[in-house]
Amino acid sequence: MDKRKVKEIFKTGIWDDNPVFRQVIGICSSLAVTNLLMNSLIMGLALTFVTAFSELTISLIRKFTPRHIRMVVQVLIISAFVIIVDIFLKAYYTEMSKALGAYVGLIITNCIIMGRCEAYAQSNPPISSFLDGIASGLGYTMILLMIAFIRELMGFGSVFGIKILGDWWTNWTIMVMPPSAFFIIGVIFWWARSKTEKKKEEKEGGKVTA
Amino acid sequence: MKNLKTNNFLYPILFTLIVTAVTTFLLAGINHLTSDAIALNEQTALRSTILYVFNIDYPNDAEKIEEIFNQRIKFKQVGEETIYYIEEGDQIAAYAFPIDGVALWGSVHGYVAITSDFSQIIGIDFVSHSETPGLGGRISEDWFKEQFRGLKLENLAEGEYIRYRPAPGGNVDGISGATLTSNAIRDLLNTSIHEFITEQRGQ
Repeated sequence: MDKRKVKEIFKTGIWDDNPVFRQVIGICSSLAVTNLLMNSLIMGLALTFVTAFSELTISLIRKFTPRHIRMVVQVLIISAFVIIVDIFLKAYYTEMSKALGAYVGLIITNCIIMGRCEAYAQSNPPISSFLDGIASGLGYTMILLMIAFIRELMGFGSVFGIKILGDWWTNWTIMVMPPSAFFIIGVIFWWARSKTEKKKEEKEGGKVTA
Repeated sequence: MKNLKTNNFLYPILFTLIVTAVTTFLLAGINHLTSDAIALNEQTALRSTILYVFNIDYPNDAEKIEEIFNQRIKFKQVGEETIYYIEEGDQIAAYAFPIDGVALWGSVHGYVAITSDFSQIIGIDFVSHSETPGLGGRISEDWFKEQFRGLKLENLAEGEYIRYRPAPGGNVDGISGATLTSNAIRDLLNTSIHEFITEQRGQ
């Protein structure tokens, strides 16, 4: 596979077709686990792992999978990888397993995985599917970290658990609660979309298209 | 292959069976390989909780924790609950018993240690809870738990040992911004301690 295609896959997954602000999927967990940066990072990495390997597996067996039961097979494979992540965290990273709690198991319900499996892995070769999974996962992780950075900084006065703001800072309780993620995610959507719209405008010579 | 897929109605069933079998075997294998590590983690977590509530220092090392635990702590089964105790001389010096209940968002599980004359709390700790991190979740922060060390158990009212300041007679601080969790924990502690003391005295 040539370099240009790899670059294209990553550019699409991380920015042009970002799962969160472009495809608007995987929102639930972006709201739920983003009050601490560390939790968001682990969540993002876990999702990247599950998406990449699920896409790889599904792409490998796509030619043998009967079309009408493909979704059953996808769910089976995705859940297997989610359980692997869960076991891994429980065995070697107990604290994180405790902090993320039910959300690890709920990775399976993250629309990004099934969305990418269905939209990409089902009709593309294994290696590009694998890379697509990584790219989508990174796109998701990036947005998660952006939200978490604002929430942790304003809600706890810290970044990755290290106190940044001094005693003068009053923690914003709302930033710790899930509703704040709604506002932040809205602002991020706005920022990211206005940026891509501008690019489009320039390309099309100032013509505004909806 | 194409022919097999479209014409044979057994093919999808067989295919699903194979995928299920492969994933199940894979997971069973991984589970088997890690089950010891997970069991050890869980035991270490429980042991360090018990040591913490008895105010016994322990290093951050699974083997050392096991050693100290086995040396100092004894336990007995009362009904379905396991009660832990430490002895000084031949006398039981203190008990630790589990507390279970509901807080704001879900169930809470933890341990409380009190002296054998029921005069003070030695410590409390929570094994699991699902309160909001940064708000109700602060019940598992040290400043909250340390308030209970050496707290005198006096009946402020019938079955009431813990009361939040600034109420008259208050002896601990609640968590600001998490009143409902704080209240649930207070009630849980009060009822559990009261039940335990009544039971032990009755025996």
